[in-house]
Amino acid sequence: MTSIGFSDEQRDCLQEIINVAMGLASDKLARFLNTFVHLQVPSIALVGASHLPAEFEHRYQDAEVALVSQGFFGDEGLRGEAIVLYQMENAHKIAALLGYDVGDVSEIEMLTDISSILTTTFLNGLASQIENSLSYSAPRILSSRQGEVTSMLENTSFHWEHALKVDISYQLIDHSFNCDMILLIPGEAVMNIKHILDRILEAY
Amino acid sequence: MALPVLICDDSLLARKQVRKSLPDSFDAEFQTAGNGLEALSILRQQEIGLVFLDLTMPELDGIGVLEAIKAERIDCFVIVISADIQPEMQKRVMELGALAFVQKPVSEDKLSGILKQYGLI
Repeated sequence: MTSIGFSDEQRDCLQEIINVAMGLASDKLARFLNTFVHLQVPSIALVGASHLPAEFEHRYQDAEVALVSQGFFGDEGLRGEAIVLYQMENAHKIAALLGYDVGDVSEIEMLTDISSILTTTFLNGLASQIENSLSYSAPRILSSRQGEVTSMLENTSFHWEHALKVDISYQLIDHSFNCDMILLIPGEAVMNIKHILDRILEAY
Repeated sequence: MALPVLICDDSLLARKQVRKSLPDSFDAEFQTAGNGLEALSILRQQEIGLVFLDLTMPELDGIGVLEAIKAERIDCFVIVISADIQPEMQKRVMELGALAFVQKPVSEDKLSGILKQYGLI
């Protein structure tokens, strides 16, 4: 895995900011699903966007996958595309929990809803901690037959230099639910994030 | 006399944020722990008056620490500072005997009221 140099202190700082943002997203998700969500520390990694398809090919190669993509725009050149990846098998479990019929058209709506909750709550939480604010484009959903995840990721990540991977693992009371969130961001946004982290670190 | 205080969080930034959020009038002697096991080993060996405790941590989480404090009847105040803000988690923490639940990121505003309420400042 290619990792683009964060210092140990910058990494600790970013991880803590992400943990706080993820706590907000989990709380929202728990309210939406009306269940308790066991929160795990999300593991984060910053990689070159061109490495993404290969990174996820293995994990999702035998699965039917849904990918929800949503653009975000903030101040100081902070912008990007947030992608949430699910295995449909997981999505069906959640759909059943919420009383949707499996394979129903509304299952797609449900996925868009969950992704939007996760993405916007998470990113708003992130933005408020770094004194930024974000706006969003409408989420787009792309589902995939087996084996197509690589080309879907290639198409989406093509325009971006870097990807901040946030590996989210949710444990609901009776179900496990895993998804991956990927933030595709341009090179200047990475530089901005580093400056912001240094600013926060200087304050403490 | 300075109050012996333990700050337990796996994040260095979060531990610094706690220190920075404490008013100048708070007279304390600080120790830190990076996970629940480290915290327990300090709590078992030394008299600690107040613990600032994170919940989501490696090795042993904050709930595990609260359970051990209760089971072993360790005498200390615990203020939980957490990113996991679900109502059910807050309820669980309070049932396990925590003094208060504070939502991350921590700030002086959030802490000073609690410290005043319990006569710690």
